[in-house]
Amino acid sequence: MNLVLIFNTFNGLITGAFYALLALGLALILGLNNTINFAQGAFMALAAYFAYSLEPSLGFWGALAVAPLLAGVLGLVVEVFLIRRLYKRDPLYSLLLTFGLALIIQDLIRTIWGATGVPLSIPESLAHPLSQTYFFLTGYRLFVVIVAFAGTAVLFAVLRYTRLGIRIRAGNADLETVSALGVNIYLLRTANFVIGIVFAGVAGILAAGQLGLEPTMGDGLLMPAFVAIVVGGVGSLLGSLLGGLLIGVASGGTTAYFPAASEAVIYLIMGLMLVIRPRGLMGQEGLFE
Amino acid sequence: MDKDMADESVRMNRRTLLKAGGAAGLATLLGHQVPSWGGSETPVKIGLIDPITSTFAAMGQSEIKGAQFAEAEINKSGGILGRPLQIFVEDSAGNPGTAVDKASRLLSQNKVDFLMGTVNSAASLAVSQFASRHDKLFVCTGGHVDSLTGKECKTTTFRTCSTTWMLTAGDFETLFKKFGKKWYFLTTDYAFGQAEQADYTTQLKKVGGTVAGSALVPVGATDFSSYLIDVKAKSPDVLCLLLAGNDQVNCMKQIAQFGINKGIAVGGALFELEQAQALPEAARYGWWTMEWYWNQPNNPHVADFVKRYTAVHKGEYPTARVWFGFATTHAIRLAVEKAKSLETAKVVKAMEGLVLPPEIALQPGNVFYRAQDHQLMLGMFPGHVIQTGQYPNLFDVSEIVPGEKIALPASQTGCMLSHA
Repeated sequence: MNLVLIFNTFNGLITGAFYALLALGLALILGLNNTINFAQGAFMALAAYFAYSLEPSLGFWGALAVAPLLAGVLGLVVEVFLIRRLYKRDPLYSLLLTFGLALIIQDLIRTIWGATGVPLSIPESLAHPLSQTYFFLTGYRLFVVIVAFAGTAVLFAVLRYTRLGIRIRAGNADLETVSALGVNIYLLRTANFVIGIVFAGVAGILAAGQLGLEPTMGDGLLMPAFVAIVVGGVGSLLGSLLGGLLIGVASGGTTAYFPAASEAVIYLIMGLMLVIRPRGLMGQEGLFE
Repeated sequence: MDKDMADESVRMNRRTLLKAGGAAGLATLLGHQVPSWGGSETPVKIGLIDPITSTFAAMGQSEIKGAQFAEAEINKSGGILGRPLQIFVEDSAGNPGTAVDKASRLLSQNKVDFLMGTVNSAASLAVSQFASRHDKLFVCTGGHVDSLTGKECKTTTFRTCSTTWMLTAGDFETLFKKFGKKWYFLTTDYAFGQAEQADYTTQLKKVGGTVAGSALVPVGATDFSSYLIDVKAKSPDVLCLLLAGNDQVNCMKQIAQFGINKGIAVGGALFELEQAQALPEAARYGWWTMEWYWNQPNNPHVADFVKRYTAVHKGEYPTARVWFGFATTHAIRLAVEKAKSLETAKVVKAMEGLVLPPEIALQPGNVFYRAQDHQLMLGMFPGHVIQTGQYPNLFDVSEIVPGEKIALPASQTGCMLSHA
């Protein structure tokens, strides 16, 4: 193994963790609200714009804490007034709804903040490489990796071991029985959707720290997130993490030898996975195992 | 029963929404009508196709603003041949197929007399062919690919923005002399980037430079880290970034965070004020070429234009794209007035060799549409980004290179116009 390949594998893991972070909220909403949320990317961009507007008064960290919550409030409105009406229908309805929503949010951003990109600054202390040799490992990227792993771990623990988590999972497995037992399923699903959007917000802001923030930013982030979920297995948070890491490494490795195919390779992996093992790396009949 | 009720309320909402949407649409249409004319005069109609959505939206909206600014001023001062000017705007979404569909609609429904627009090269080539087939004048505002006024030039097509050759020639010498002869190209993987890389490579080889490496980057790439690993491994003198729109912003941010611009000079051809605005201070660096810049000391026409424009747009400064829209609209006006006709053939003839007056050219030198290939001989503004600058002071122009001096001679462009 030559040095370039080692570099690319290491770098691919970092990029992959970023993809996994993008996939986290999406996987949550897909697994428990049974909704393919096409507006996830648009919510990412919107939260990043909120952060951009809040940054002058709250600073980067303050904006990172508050902006996702604002996006979450909007997610609440969307769930209660729109998504909720479609739970009993074919998932295609909510897919179309969220697709339209994505376009509306994108145009809303363009109307409020303009079509020209805006600069979102990250703390000076994070914007440097941590090592001269591994120059691609910056403080910022390390932070993104930590958030991705911590986010997955926290969500996993909540769903696995808390009352709320058990109810959400039970509700998804057998809605009627659980609601017959007196659990307010709608409230649980709303909570889950909002948490998913808050995660989208965090991912969006962290993405905008290393990418240009402009109205279509979410478009480019949505696809890797979907691929990570499909490869990792729908319904498995750990699977999404693994899926993200896998496509990150594959994409990085391909760039070293044939850069023009670096985007295509992740779709190739997805296609192969769907043919060979349709449920993905960790997707099983039961959720989250 | 409950379900029915729910359905009904959904339907009601949808209907209300449709009504609201319809009303909003109607309001927009009405807003576009020229108010000060009696209605007896048929307007001169220009169809403007530019991306209002997609990753090219920022550039597209600047061109539209420039064109509409010119439209308003032209109408205020008497219109064209005593008739009002009306510009119809359609969204190309940066897509060649959509651009042609919209061009077709503008011709059949709006009955426009002329076409202009398109930010990206692929859409420009497609509309150019469409206009040629339908014998309509098309003035390209913003697609740079050489072949548009080269091998694939058309009698009915003119271009206001520069060729990729002119873009690369604008700052090649500076980059080469200042930073060295070993270059690495990071190039966007479509017509525009490939043409730029070919043009730089030609100039580099001519003076004995070498290409240390290159990579084609898919449009819309978000992660550049793996490309930058290869850049660092090849350790070039110059990292030449030939990316478009927001991709360039993404890449520049990541280069800065990895500290690559500390050891390697970064530069390239096209750079736009729209991009500079989107960069945080830490990611502002490099040597580039602008195609027009608002800050031209000692040029009263430019100062006046900037004053008029910022007044209308609440402190927003005109960019090169704004100037493309502005200059193209005026160029069509001038050609129509010279031809005293709206007939395609006559306007084309009038536009060949048309010199833009200083209040339209807004730059020194002789700025004209070259008769042989229909390319505007506009100046190039090479310079560097001011890292600590405050908007709009983000770029330092080192010199204004006259277009005539750096454009390929008409005999070498590969353009063979049938009548020439």
